[in-house]
Amino acid sequence: MLRRIWSLVIKEFIHLRHDWWMPAFMLLGGAMELLLVGWATSRPITNLPLMVLDQDKSAASRSIITALENTGTFRLQQQADDTRTIQAALERGKINAAIVIPPGFSEQMISATGHPSLLVILNGAESIPATAALRAIEGMARDVDQRIILQRLGMDASQFAGFDPSLRVWFNEALSEALYTTPAELGLMLEFTVLLFAALAFSRERELGTLEQLLVMPFSSLEIIIGKSIPVVIVGFADFALMLGMVHFAFGVPVRGSLPLLPILALGYILVELSKGMVVSVISRTQHQAFLLVMLVGMADFMFTGYAAPVESMPKVLQYLANLIPAYHWLAIMRGLLLKGAGLDVLWPNVLALLLLGLGIGTFSWRYVRRALD
Amino acid sequence: MSLRHILAVTRKEFHHIFRDRSTLVLVLLTPTLLLLLMAYALTVDIKHVPIAVLDYDRSPTSTTFVQQITAGEDLDIYTYATSMSEVESLLMRGKIKAALIISPGFGRDLLNLKGIPIQVIIDGTEPESGNFAVDHIARRAEEFVNQALASQMQAMGLQLESLQPLDLRVRTWYNPDLKPRNDLIPGLISMVLGLPALSVALTLAHEREHGTLEQLMATPIGRAELLLGKMIPYIIVGLINVIAIPALAGAWFHVPFNGNFLLFFGLSAIFLFAILSMGIIVGVFMRTQAAALALSFLVVFFPGFFLTGIFFPLASMPEEMRMEALMLPGTHYAVITRGVYLPGVGLDVLWPYAVMLIFLGVVFTGVAALFFRKKLG
Repeated sequence: MLRRIWSLVIKEFIHLRHDWWMPAFMLLGGAMELLLVGWATSRPITNLPLMVLDQDKSAASRSIITALENTGTFRLQQQADDTRTIQAALERGKINAAIVIPPGFSEQMISATGHPSLLVILNGAESIPATAALRAIEGMARDVDQRIILQRLGMDASQFAGFDPSLRVWFNEALSEALYTTPAELGLMLEFTVLLFAALAFSRERELGTLEQLLVMPFSSLEIIIGKSIPVVIVGFADFALMLGMVHFAFGVPVRGSLPLLPILALGYILVELSKGMVVSVISRTQHQAFLLVMLVGMADFMFTGYAAPVESMPKVLQYLANLIPAYHWLAIMRGLLLKGAGLDVLWPNVLALLLLGLGIGTFSWRYVRRALD
Repeated sequence: MSLRHILAVTRKEFHHIFRDRSTLVLVLLTPTLLLLLMAYALTVDIKHVPIAVLDYDRSPTSTTFVQQITAGEDLDIYTYATSMSEVESLLMRGKIKAALIISPGFGRDLLNLKGIPIQVIIDGTEPESGNFAVDHIARRAEEFVNQALASQMQAMGLQLESLQPLDLRVRTWYNPDLKPRNDLIPGLISMVLGLPALSVALTLAHEREHGTLEQLMATPIGRAELLLGKMIPYIIVGLINVIAIPALAGAWFHVPFNGNFLLFFGLSAIFLFAILSMGIIVGVFMRTQAAALALSFLVVFFPGFFLTGIFFPLASMPEEMRMEALMLPGTHYAVITRGVYLPGVGLDVLWPYAVMLIFLGVVFTGVAALFFRKKLG
């Protein structure tokens, strides 16, 4: 039996050698893409274009502008001369926020009962940068408030420790964005690589009419399935190793947990995704169909990796559903092993869930694919 | 170039699509389904973030403080921890996203104006919710301290007009509540409309894989005609989604559409031309569907998701990546979709992006036609 499986694997590799673009894209392309995407998205939100209309033109208003620059979130555009300039820039999407410092700002600042006011205009057409801008501006306002109060009370700043709670970030002390974006991006690329590759396994043979030939040969369906799976697992695993090296060396993602545990669990995860891909592969009659199904399945899974939205904030139904998604547990495992230095004692619920899902999906896939082949 | 030839190819292509019902349904529905999926999952407002509270002070002041911090839907108290090691274990297991630690002497220090001795720990692996928790705690803490200060000052006989002298008047244009849905859904349209480009790359590779390209080349149809003819059915597929998605977004998600729909429709057609020509390039270079698929994921799909500024602002990207982003049709189209949707701007503002899309489309199709000839020898 082993010899027959071996000959099937050889057959698959001959296909791959003939069409070497595909494995090359899947292996190197995925890693390169991760490098590019990680490079582009693993930074804090900075450099947001901000326009200032300073109608006061005093030392006080300039100190506000400096404070805004010091938040590190903004890149100041040239000063606006009137509100029309601001409106035009907002309409064109050239700026994410604008600040108007009204005349009389400095007098209000100095007066003991004054209310210096600032007008903040946010560009709601891009809510993510607008929210970041608002947070930065509010933070700055808190500091200014405190300064004014202390000054009015005649207190010394050193007497008052401030309103800001002291903040510590665990597992990611430098608050590097790369540490939470790149593992999720790695998860996404790995999932698509395995799913796509597996989904093409039978749909391709069927479309090209070679599946019949394969089935009349003296192979059992078990042997065919294993023979088809081995190249997928090899490419998927090599892809994982390559991308892990990439996030570690290029983006400084640490491996704080057990390094031997990581590939073992990765292998388990790849097998689960492989089973899903195989089901897609026998459902689809053409490669085109297989691709469209992979798209839907893969993106549905990606929603639960916590990349753009935390799972706890989703509707309750989706939160329960998340537990049935292998990618959800895999990301928890990966974050735990890479960033938190967690071990099996902590991660066992996720590992167990992945194992159960793997058994469930694997059994279903196995029976389904076999029936389809027989 | 003759229109009759182009339409002949288009008819043939439609034949392929209609012959296989399940592919037809998938090709038509995938963009809208994908958008629906992402709209549900990605545009949630962050709330119910689970936190732990470790109160070393246990004074009436600290109890009130905790109550005030966790009022509303934003933060949920997962548990009252009793020790640091418990907090550590909860964070490790991902049960909580942040922890609030109140030092002993909290109530006393607060009254003596010594600042607020609290510490917030966040889980740095998912800062999205962690940052939100910190922000929320900081704001509520400030309100609380202000109240305490006010009563303290009254007791001391000090007069202070206000504790928040700086009057911050925030106006948010176009999307007053800063609902992520209202701008992410228009942005995501640019991503899901990239799917027909992957399909067109596949069909071109399909012809080559099945050897039918030779037959096509033996007909009097020119190369550019063939490529354009192949694009048209998928432009139509895309445009059907351009109607379906805003209808769905408006009826189901209540995303306002402030601009001119006809303009949006026209610009979408231009975008589809540009993005489909990217797919055509992939199809021209790759000999098998598998390879075309892998390559189009790399050059069309992933960049369309990550690099077009939908989630991550272009302004914050490194210079080189911004350059690359500007070469993607999706980047320009995302500006158009958001511009038409929210500020409701017209062609007077959007023309540079439309010009850029036409330019990219013409260049991509030109490159494809050029190499198509060479490849066929």
